[in-house]
Amino acid sequence: MNFIFGEVAGILIFFIGLCGLMIKKSIVKTIMALTVMESGIILFYITINYTPDTIPPIGQAQEAAFADPVPAALMITAIVIGIGITAIGLTMFMHYKQEHGITHWTRDRNQQGSERKC
Amino acid sequence: MKETNKAVKVIRVVFAAASACLVLFLFLNHSEKLDMPLREYITANFFEETGAQNAVSAIYLNYRVFDTLLETLMLLVSVMEVINVSWAGKQARQRTFETKPFDPKDHSEIVLRMVGVIYPFVLLIGLYIIFNGHVSPGGGFQGGAILATALISRYLVYPNFDLDLDRLEKFEKLLFLAIAATPILYIFMQIQPVDTLFSHKVYMVFMNSLIGLKVFAGLSVIFYRFVFYEGR
Repeated sequence: MNFIFGEVAGILIFFIGLCGLMIKKSIVKTIMALTVMESGIILFYITINYTPDTIPPIGQAQEAAFADPVPAALMITAIVIGIGITAIGLTMFMHYKQEHGITHWTRDRNQQGSERKC
Repeated sequence: MKETNKAVKVIRVVFAAASACLVLFLFLNHSEKLDMPLREYITANFFEETGAQNAVSAIYLNYRVFDTLLETLMLLVSVMEVINVSWAGKQARQRTFETKPFDPKDHSEIVLRMVGVIYPFVLLIGLYIIFNGHVSPGGGFQGGAILATALISRYLVYPNFDLDLDRLEKFEKLLFLAIAATPILYIFMQIQPVDTLFSHKVYMVFMNSLIGLKVFAGLSVIFYRFVFYEGR
């Protein structure tokens, strides 16, 4: 049995993002990890319920079965929401950086910055 | 300063790997086969019921229109957040953007000429994707994103801040009201002048245009705010 298909890759990408969320201390890297998790979810959803002998669900062609249009329609909205989440996260990061000088979660104020390795 | 030591980091990586293995194990070992009544119903009936030839448009504009409503609300909320939570919000009134007179020497000749050539085609393909969203792959979201790239390429050539972002945001709020009102009147309350396939198609094109313009306004506001306010 072949284990390499879209759902497995989606689950693995999601947990790679979760791992990055847990071990990275930089706020920007946290936002990037959120985006990675989100792309894993999108990959999982658009490959769920996929069979190779289907055609895209457009038009009235009847020579083959249509692919499932429901997860694709869900993911269209999820992509735009992902843009919104990334924009909100980056704006809040810039706010904290300018207001309090915080770039990392676990350091106090004098040791923030990018010169130290995380 | 609390520095996380190596052991905790290793434990976290092991935890993530173990949970990934658990979820994969559960996912690969469940053998329950569910029926797909929703897929069968939609792929059999979407043209007769909604007038769209693209099943995805039929779903997000007719069957599951709540998705579209709340998603556009989410984009609107994120745009408002980008404008209002920004650290530059306090100084934004006092900030002045010196507009340099346009000098072709400042820019790359290749970028200048190519953006001038590409610009109308970007607008054309964006409008095409919006207006043909119900018969071909495409729709409001994709077309709006392509229209926003037209403004972004304009920034490459002419990096001055002369857009009125407040007016663009007000425009987006009005578009959200229109997007909320149209399906409520047409789908939920069934106030339709005529109930034919043609009127369904007109509804599809109208909603796709509204969504495309709204996504265009939202992405442009986010891009220009990030370029001109969030820097440094």
